[in-house]
Amino acid sequence: MSELVWSRFHPVTPAVKGWKVLVVVLAIAVQQGAENVTAARDAVDAVGWWPVVGAIAGVVLIGFLYSLVAWRMARFAVGPDAVHLQQGVLFRQQRTARLDRIQAIDVVQPLLARLLGLAELKIEVAGGSDSAVKLSFLREADAQVLRNELLARAAGVEFGTPEVPHAPVAPEREVLAVEASRILVSTLLSSAAIIGLIGIVGVAVAIAVTGEPSIAITLLPFLLGTAGYAVQRFNSEFGFRAAVSPDGIRLRHGFTSARAQTVPPGRVQAVRITQPLLWRSRGWWRVQVNVAGYGVSDAQTESVLLPVGDRDEALLALWLVLPDLGAEDPVALLDDALTGTGPGRFVTSPQSARWLDPLSWRRNGYALTGRGLVLRSGRFVRQVDVVPHERTQSLGLTQGPIQRRLGLASVALHSTPGPVSPTVPHLAADVAAHLLATQAERAREARASAGPERWMEHMHARGVAPAAPAASATPEPATPTPAAPPPAAPPAPPAPPAPPAPPAVSPPSEVGRS
Amino acid sequence: MSDGPSVLPAAHGVSPDPFDPQDVDWVGVSPRLVTVRLVTAAIVLLPPVVVGVLIAVLTGVPGLWAVPGVVVAVALWTALLVPRQARAIGYAERADDLLVRRGILFRTLVVVPYGRMQFVDVQAGPLDRWAGIAKVQLHTASPASDAVIPGLAPDEASRLRDRLAARGEARLAGL
Repeated sequence: MSELVWSRFHPVTPAVKGWKVLVVVLAIAVQQGAENVTAARDAVDAVGWWPVVGAIAGVVLIGFLYSLVAWRMARFAVGPDAVHLQQGVLFRQQRTARLDRIQAIDVVQPLLARLLGLAELKIEVAGGSDSAVKLSFLREADAQVLRNELLARAAGVEFGTPEVPHAPVAPEREVLAVEASRILVSTLLSSAAIIGLIGIVGVAVAIAVTGEPSIAITLLPFLLGTAGYAVQRFNSEFGFRAAVSPDGIRLRHGFTSARAQTVPPGRVQAVRITQPLLWRSRGWWRVQVNVAGYGVSDAQTESVLLPVGDRDEALLALWLVLPDLGAEDPVALLDDALTGTGPGRFVTSPQSARWLDPLSWRRNGYALTGRGLVLRSGRFVRQVDVVPHERTQSLGLTQGPIQRRLGLASVALHSTPGPVSPTVPHLAADVAAHLLATQAERAREARASAGPERWMEHMHARGVAPAAPAASATPEPATPTPAAPPPAAPPAPPAPPAPPAPPAVSPPSEVGRS
Repeated sequence: MSDGPSVLPAAHGVSPDPFDPQDVDWVGVSPRLVTVRLVTAAIVLLPPVVVGVLIAVLTGVPGLWAVPGVVVAVALWTALLVPRQARAIGYAERADDLLVRRGILFRTLVVVPYGRMQFVDVQAGPLDRWAGIAKVQLHTASPASDAVIPGLAPDEASRLRDRLAARGEARLAGL
């Protein structure tokens, strides 16, 4: 085994990171000043503007000096089995992440870094919040190369030999792209925007009734909050594109800051397809996923597999994760899951559940397929969860006093932290018990036959032999069974490593290396 | 099963209890857990009673006796409930998974496959140590899997810990 080769981050890093201090200080100053405008003005009048400007300049200087020291003291190395990071000024931290435990690798470019051609490589491993190894900042091309190398090593691809000197670039093929106009409309029709509108109308009515315009001030923080949410969501989802490659699912999105995510095969723990009430007339759906490592706090930016799309696109997104649903008639099953009610393909709540859930008891239910469990719920906000059998962590059965009286029980499938929390409410008690017992068995069998953690273990080079997009999930060649998706959907990535349109965040160097 | 009249409350006794699978031998927890929980409840509830009685005596307002009265009622209710709750806790080691159940009014049953286990905690507070019990908690990659077994004898707790760790290793899987 060779010695680790330690490298520093890009020397411009401190200039990019130092501004963070100024942003924090300004945010605090603006917040304090806004709370008490007159006191702030009096304070400035008393001392004059120069000390204020000087204090801010001093803070900025300290911020840059600290960033410079932090940059000097940080270094990273990539070994054959792990990636190592050492950082910290006063409190030193050494972090080692095993490559076969990688859950996802993101190339993140905040606005300033993007302007300077820099990028942060975020290596996600499972394990609570802040478990990622963040390499910031690298030249964007270097970040891409390093990502390819890490993914190749994590996949078990051999390189460094005379025939294959470098990590081969995984060919990818774009399968989904969302127009900006659709993102905008979907954001405006989201629940946050609607709540904001209700707030405005409510205050307008209050002002009209009382004749006191000052009531509007009370609404300001609330409006800023909802507007901030909507803007952030649009900013994050702008230009969303999804692609398949032997390295897994590639997601690219972002308006001011750009993010390119790679989720290797078998790393998606659960999928949720939802349709808010206001999207129903347009037939739009949103697809979110649980990936261990992506925390709950950033779920709005990281855990979105499709921000908005029609039925076919949503099913295509599901197909990216689970190419073979293992059902006899997957299209009919998923149609039933998305919009159906009542028993049929789904096992639903018995009639006694109408007392506990009068609106959606006919819709709540589950359907079993060879590969996973499909859970359906929600009358107004339609919701479908799909959990691959081998990804079930543990199972729970709960029963409250009323449920007991009505002979009902709820089943929960415990998944890793994320936006998806799959549950089947109010099943008949014996059905729930049966599901619990048999699902534990199915999960065990599926795990035993699941693919290797190193998803390309048997291949020697990517890009040479075409591979199914989710090799570990499906031993047989993947076919687009669930969706009968549009012709754009490929059964497997094509051999020539030429993406249809080179996306903004992938530099020419990626193609050049292949 | 999906259509027609559902399981009626009258038929409930006929159908097997979903929280009591047939092929499972449940192991209960130590009765010392009752002692610990009662002592904890006493530590929490005694000061309000004393303070309430003092205030009622000192002020001489008869209505103020309601305050300690309510607290005493809560204490009596707790004293009745805690032994039943402790008896309702059970666990079972099956070949491939651990079952934990608890609760009387709100019942919960958790099935944790050994291969999904990430780590095991054994914890004992000062009262637990005085009474000679410990708590074993199984953690998976999901924060929702709430597999806690309180009130185990220390030997049993460490035996269970080692056994779970060994079984988890034997069935090691990724996420």
